[in-house]
Amino acid sequence: MDHDLSQYGMSEEKLFSFHTHSDLESEVITAPRYSYWQSVFRVFFRNKVNIAILALLVFVVAFAYAYPALTHYDPFANLMDPESKHLGPAGAMQYFGADLKWILGTGASGESTFDAIWNGSRISISLAFLCAAINMTVGVCIGAVWGFSKKVDMIMMEVYNIVGNVPTILIISVMAMLFAPTFWTMVFALTITGWLFIAYQIRIQVVIIRDREYNLASRCLGTSTIKIAMKNILPFMTSVIVTLLATEIPSYISYEVFLSYIGMGMKDMSLGRLIYAAEGAMITPGWEMEFWSPVAITAIITVVLYVVGQNLGDASDPRTHM
Amino acid sequence: MGKYVIKRLLRGAVSAIIVVLIVMVLIYSLLDRNKIFSGDPAYNHTASNTRTTYEYSRWESYGYVDYVPYADYLRDLVKAGEIDAETQKAAASLGRKPERDSELTAEYTAKFREYYESKGYEVIRLDADTKKNGQIKSGGNPALFATKDVPLIQRAIKYFTEMFQIDNIHYVPEENDIGERGLTFTLYDPMYGGEKFSPAIMGNGTRHKYLLYFDHQFPYFHQNFLTINLGESYTVNKGVDVFTTMTETQGSYVLSTITFPTGVTLERADDLHTATYVEGSRDSIASNAERFTDDYTNVRTINKGMSRMGYSFVIGIISTILAYVLGLPIGLLMSRHKEGLLDKIGTIYIMFIIAVPSLAYIFLFKAIGGSVFKLPTLFDLDSGSKLMYVLPIVSLTLPQLANLMKWMRRYMIDQMNSDYVKFARSGGLSETEIFSKHIWKNAMIPLVHGIPGSIIAAMVGAIITERVYVVPGAGNLLTTAINRYDNAVIVGVTFFYAVLSVISIILGDILMATVDPRISFSTKDR
Repeated sequence: MDHDLSQYGMSEEKLFSFHTHSDLESEVITAPRYSYWQSVFRVFFRNKVNIAILALLVFVVAFAYAYPALTHYDPFANLMDPESKHLGPAGAMQYFGADLKWILGTGASGESTFDAIWNGSRISISLAFLCAAINMTVGVCIGAVWGFSKKVDMIMMEVYNIVGNVPTILIISVMAMLFAPTFWTMVFALTITGWLFIAYQIRIQVVIIRDREYNLASRCLGTSTIKIAMKNILPFMTSVIVTLLATEIPSYISYEVFLSYIGMGMKDMSLGRLIYAAEGAMITPGWEMEFWSPVAITAIITVVLYVVGQNLGDASDPRTHM
Repeated sequence: MGKYVIKRLLRGAVSAIIVVLIVMVLIYSLLDRNKIFSGDPAYNHTASNTRTTYEYSRWESYGYVDYVPYADYLRDLVKAGEIDAETQKAAASLGRKPERDSELTAEYTAKFREYYESKGYEVIRLDADTKKNGQIKSGGNPALFATKDVPLIQRAIKYFTEMFQIDNIHYVPEENDIGERGLTFTLYDPMYGGEKFSPAIMGNGTRHKYLLYFDHQFPYFHQNFLTINLGESYTVNKGVDVFTTMTETQGSYVLSTITFPTGVTLERADDLHTATYVEGSRDSIASNAERFTDDYTNVRTINKGMSRMGYSFVIGIISTILAYVLGLPIGLLMSRHKEGLLDKIGTIYIMFIIAVPSLAYIFLFKAIGGSVFKLPTLFDLDSGSKLMYVLPIVSLTLPQLANLMKWMRRYMIDQMNSDYVKFARSGGLSETEIFSKHIWKNAMIPLVHGIPGSIIAAMVGAIITERVYVVPGAGNLLTTAINRYDNAVIVGVTFFYAVLSVISIILGDILMATVDPRISFSTKDR
């Protein structure tokens, strides 16, 4: 077969030359570069809905921290002014002049509902993040040990059966009565037993993958338990942990709302306290805004947190990176 | 299997006991016992020494301490026949200060001190609180009493030993003359005039007059030989046991013509079958003497409504059934048409229920149900309307439904990728057959585990739903007890919950093993 080599525009030597064989190079396995976290974010941002929801989450959280810091909020500023109480948005704007803070009307002591909600959101979000951080850290560490060691498993299962049966409401109310019902008491009460339930979830996952063949092989090759835990099991757990986090953070906000509603919440004006305080306004014509706006904001915050977390959890599963 | 279940039950019992110990430590040792006075109007009316004695007597009622005033000690001495009433009266008057006691008083206060200090009590003497002019301030009278904190172990042992009470003919103190003690069996219950066939066992000397009887109230057959005593309430439902509080009927009285043992007929709601013995009740209350021939006079009433647990259970069980009936097929369809329209709507619904605080959507459904569908939003004990059940049931169904849909879909999808499904498909089975005969059965196994749990949870009640719709159910009992510092109720309810949760997990395991022959709990079968 005759080929016209001149069409390639290269000399014959260039086209056909001997290549030396290198033993070292032949050992290298060529694969496309793979970075775990880069792939996670690539998958996450591939979905345009995720970008929008993440932007909303960032906005809500930033606003909840920035707005109360930049504006001065005094719930009792208009206490002596009977005209200012329970005004609708239009009424409040007319009475105080057009301003962002009157957009949701006023509450029982003439305070701006909008300001109250964002101050409350800041407290609720802080509580949720803090509790989630503590519970997840302690829970994941203890859960990993719990899953690995059979001795620890035996003891911890009994502890779980016992502590799981002590009503959480009782623990929280005892803590609230022991120390004043402040923000830090609430953090303490929610974390003192809260980590146990996360540790239990982690334990189940660890038990499932602990005895897989690749871990068995690792152990046979003499890999230390810590290395197996860090290199073999932890990467597998990332998506589980992120998914767990996605349900945990909003659940603390919901739980705080629940506790406030049954009268066992903290003193600070959190979202739960606001809903509890405005419950009577729900059935009063013209005052509904006071009740429904904190409820709506709570719902928005929790839904956004949940959706972002879930989708991040999906993206952090390596099987979706193909 | 049997051996395994017994082992599990024993371990469950141990953990329930430890739960009670933890709760006792929490409420009796850690909590500030002065808190109980924060909502007590009578406390503010007391002053000086009266306030101190009032505090101790309250603490005794709430179960913190054992408290014996000096006067009680003297009264006991009179009862025991050691001193006469005159000596009692003279010895009871305390001087302003110990030095100013009369000789007789000094003798008996010394005896009192010696007796109780030997039993580990702390004896406290409060001197008279006087004004500058020497007059005694109001409430400043001198006082003498012995007190002791109840130790945890003693409290726990007492709690568990008194939990089951078996009625016997020696319940009434031996010195009370009540005629011949014993049990009588009759085929014709005297309550129904002595002619209708209705077997009953009656007792004399027992706590309950009727130990076994039939009537027309659910469950129609009643026994009083064994009573469960979980703890006597002090503030929530004064003097009534926690278990009775949960199971007694509520609401307005159901009046009927009742023939009392003496032959008097009255329009009353009393349930004479529940009569219990109250010492000397005919002598102290004239109406009792008219109606009863013996001291079995304390009767419960028949009320129109159901019990707390009854309401919780009716609402809970209907919503559980609804959730299973709707949730499983929807979850199945969602998995079958994955990524389809139903799956997407279902996923959004599940997300909504999980993410939004339960309080928010319950209020939302209350508002929608009340304004759009004109359903009653508040529970009324005396209204016969069945519509008032609708909104609580809907509110309870929604989260359960979302949960079942989520897991059904998850398990179905997991099963769809297994080898047996591929094999069935290659064997030529239709998709409907594969889904309804193979995948569905396997996916149900983990869900079956939760069925006993959700039925038992229905009995316990739901806190928020019952509070929002003002349902007089059992769900609020714990929170009410905590708010009112009713320690005995807190302990009782916690123990009850712990036992139920242990039982529900064991039942779930047994049910799962029955449904799936591959699961076995005994090592021999494995």
